Amino acid sequence: MIEPSPPKSIRAMGLRRRLGKIQISVALGMTLVWMLLFDAFQLRPESLGLLLLGFLASVAIMLVFPLPPIKPGFRFWPVQGVWMIVYITWKMFVASFQVTAQIFTPGTVHSSVISVKQRTGSDLMLVCTAIVTTVIPGSVIVEVGQAERELFVHVLGADTEEKVRNAEKDVRALEERLVRGLGTRADIAELEEALASGEERV
Amino acid sequence: MSDTFVQALDWIAVLCLLAGALLTLVAGIGLVRFPDLLSRMHTAAKPQVLGLLLVLVGLAIRLIPVETNVFNVGTLALVGLFQIVTIPVAGHIAARVGYRSGRIQHDLLVEDALADRIAEKERAQEEAERQEEREQERAERTE
Repeated sequence: MIEPSPPKSIRAMGLRRRLGKIQISVALGMTLVWMLLFDAFQLRPESLGLLLLGFLASVAIMLVFPLPPIKPGFRFWPVQGVWMIVYITWKMFVASFQVTAQIFTPGTVHSSVISVKQRTGSDLMLVCTAIVTTVIPGSVIVEVGQAERELFVHVLGADTEEKVRNAEKDVRALEERLVRGLGTRADIAELEEALASGEERV
Repeated sequence: MSDTFVQALDWIAVLCLLAGALLTLVAGIGLVRFPDLLSRMHTAAKPQVLGLLLVLVGLAIRLIPVETNVFNVGTLALVGLFQIVTIPVAGHIAARVGYRSGRIQHDLLVEDALADRIAEKERAQEEAERQEEREQERAERTE
């Protein structure tokens, strides 16, 4: 007798493993993008269909291209989150004018590459800080030391010791805002601890 | 909506669009003016982000009183979001490759923590290699 076809069961197991990779929160985020794309935020009968279709499409995408889960995850703290967005927007405006001023000041612009140590261990917070640092004018991430939790930032126009220290302080403040706005409880506790011990040292 | 309100919205939109266009122009001037890759990165990726956001805000304000079926505020929000998320990735890769392949002018850098770190790592690696060689020699000698 022929064995009951093993490939089928392997395929079923693979499917189950892939189904386990589906993250509902990510699927909901993708559905949101889908809804925005198709202008579905209106009261009309098609919206419900679009919602369902978007959710199915995101689940299908996750089945075909499974990704590892975002491990420690994040949570949005409403008050601190809004404060974070305001802070980033404000920084973007101020720094845009600074860079504009630097462009129109004659003479060579000297810069520095500084290293900033992160105070939280979460990879997601590291990535967020790196992205926001790059989006804010005047600083570009050159290198990320993931193991040492260090960001190497190229700061435009930082030609004195004082300006270098200020730039470092800016990145640290940014990290604090991000962790307070998006970090998990563990991240925030870690940050508080680092802040407390840092103040003792100073 | 009253006429004056629409007109006020129009003016705000025009101001946003103009400011955005100006910032993009500044970015272009910066590209020409700065001497090396790392400083050019700043202008290429930056005033331009704010410029783009301002243009998008201007467009969104213009779109409030008008009904279009082609694109809407949601689409603009998506454009802004994905620009913000993807620009740093491209910028980081360009900066990193430029740095590692030595295409930067070191005399423009006042402080360079990364160079120190890389030198430190290389020294440590050389030390380890030398240690290994010495151990090998010792092993050969004992044989």
